[in-house]
Amino acid sequence: MSEVRKPRDPVTGHVKALAKGFKYLVEPNRMTLDYPAETMKLPPNYRGFFTVDDKKCIGCSMCEMVCPPEAITMVPRIIGEGGKTIPAPEGEKEAKGPKRTKRPVVNWGKCIFCYFCVDVCPVDAFIPTQVHDLAFEKDSEYRPSYEEYLKPPEEPYKNAKKVVSKADLKRGVGYDPAP
Amino acid sequence: MNEKVYNIDDLQNVNVDGEKYIILQIGPSHPGSGHMRIKVWLDGDIIVKVDPDIGFVHRTSEWLSERREWIKAVPIVERIMLPDTVHANLAYVLTVEKLLGIEPPPRAQYLRSLVAEINRITSHLYGIGIFGIFLGSSTVYMWAFGDREPFIDLMEMLTGARITTSYIIPGGVRWDLPNGFKERAETVLQYMERRLKDYEDIWVKNPVVQARTINVGTLKKEDAIALGVVGPNLRASGVYYDTRKHQPYAAYSNIDFEVPTMKNGDSYDRLLIRVEEIKQSIRMIRQILKDIPEGKIVADQIYNQLNPVMKKNYEEKKRVMFPAFMIHMRPPAGEAAAKVEAGRGEIFFYIKSTGDKYPYRFRWVTPSFRNLPYFTHVAVGHRLADLPTIYGSIDYFPPEADR
Repeated sequence: MSEVRKPRDPVTGHVKALAKGFKYLVEPNRMTLDYPAETMKLPPNYRGFFTVDDKKCIGCSMCEMVCPPEAITMVPRIIGEGGKTIPAPEGEKEAKGPKRTKRPVVNWGKCIFCYFCVDVCPVDAFIPTQVHDLAFEKDSEYRPSYEEYLKPPEEPYKNAKKVVSKADLKRGVGYDPAP
Repeated sequence: MNEKVYNIDDLQNVNVDGEKYIILQIGPSHPGSGHMRIKVWLDGDIIVKVDPDIGFVHRTSEWLSERREWIKAVPIVERIMLPDTVHANLAYVLTVEKLLGIEPPPRAQYLRSLVAEINRITSHLYGIGIFGIFLGSSTVYMWAFGDREPFIDLMEMLTGARITTSYIIPGGVRWDLPNGFKERAETVLQYMERRLKDYEDIWVKNPVVQARTINVGTLKKEDAIALGVVGPNLRASGVYYDTRKHQPYAAYSNIDFEVPTMKNGDSYDRLLIRVEEIKQSIRMIRQILKDIPEGKIVADQIYNQLNPVMKKNYEEKKRVMFPAFMIHMRPPAGEAAAKVEAGRGEIFFYIKSTGDKYPYRFRWVTPSFRNLPYFTHVAVGHRLADLPTIYGSIDYFPPEADR
């Protein structure tokens, strides 16, 4: 490796470095996305905010058990018409009695998006999305109620230009308009 | 380098002329020190003694992991080594697999090596970028952090997350190669090979960098072995040791690669070795994508426990869901240890199980912690202005050392 290590002649070295710097001054190698005017369409397995299918869920609490930061809590519910659940009477903490069940709610302040809950679900009831850039203004918004949690997360900047990233030989990361 | 011999073991804080040493506290607030404090005794501007004060970002990862189900330690160990998440994940899972007696199938082994090598490149680029800003070159800092991005995009495409991938689970991996991954990876590798030539001109062979790093912070081969430093820093001192070669894990026994070593062990060699390792990683990724065998990506012990919904998902989306075993895992009583060559050096894991649902003892040693002797042994005799060079060249990451 002594050849690699050999100190470069100062004059050539400085000239080469300056020439390279000048080249990138004229032709910058930008890979930045103009967020939020442009937003990225992420790959289908990207782990973003997720919600749950109320009808599919069987209330088994596996997601609560596997959650590493303990972000999931199970709320008691009553199975109503058509398989949908309605809130349990106030004050009822355990799901005991006829037609009682439980449903998960995620505390977004704690969630680390590891998707262990999504993967452990025996009926695949979670609905993953690629939405990742939600912002919360109030502390209470981190902890949605079950009804709020059921609403699919809405993507901010809906009017933004959608792009998909690609590998680019010149710039490393390039962007194509999303299909 | 100053050749004067100092003796400050008695901590008199007085030099031979009866003058007091200046004691300088670098840190613990971040710029230039990381999240740690470096206490430096100075005679004029010559460093007499260095005392690194670590522990400011200690996050009790061992304590936390001993009070959780086995699978829940995966995100914890990842968050300790943020530029190097895959290796921490892999080291932990290898240890658990030894306890469980599960052997992942060949395709999963190759996928583990693939994502580990992609991660190694991002980790080295991170180190080169930080070294750049320590020497005052914001250009190479921006370049290196920008060039991590194509590789992080590859990880995102494969694992679904940019940094904290949680990709490796006991028995295999969580997702198979997506469509179009091989073509994309090849473009990224060609891009990086071209960029390495640019780095050479503007940074690696720049006369300013050579003047500031050559013969600064030299650690001789014998000293490196005696102090027990690891990883690229050890190889920069000329020791031929790499866990991937000497105790192969994942698919490394089937991959043809070289372990680059240097001779001098100074800061410049520690920079060069990272560039050489990026080249080797590029070579390995090409081989893996060419040779990767077909087959299952999870061991039969796990696959057989999947319910019909999960099996359907596996066939259609190439996605491994978790059987209930993952929560209720109780590895049989015993001890296990595993070693993994991470970007900064060797991670060592030791876990003792009593057959309970939590690990009984969870112990791990991270590479940055073992590279700490550099501060105390290498900087002495240099001028204070050389301390950032030495710090940057060893690629020290305080949260990793503190665990």
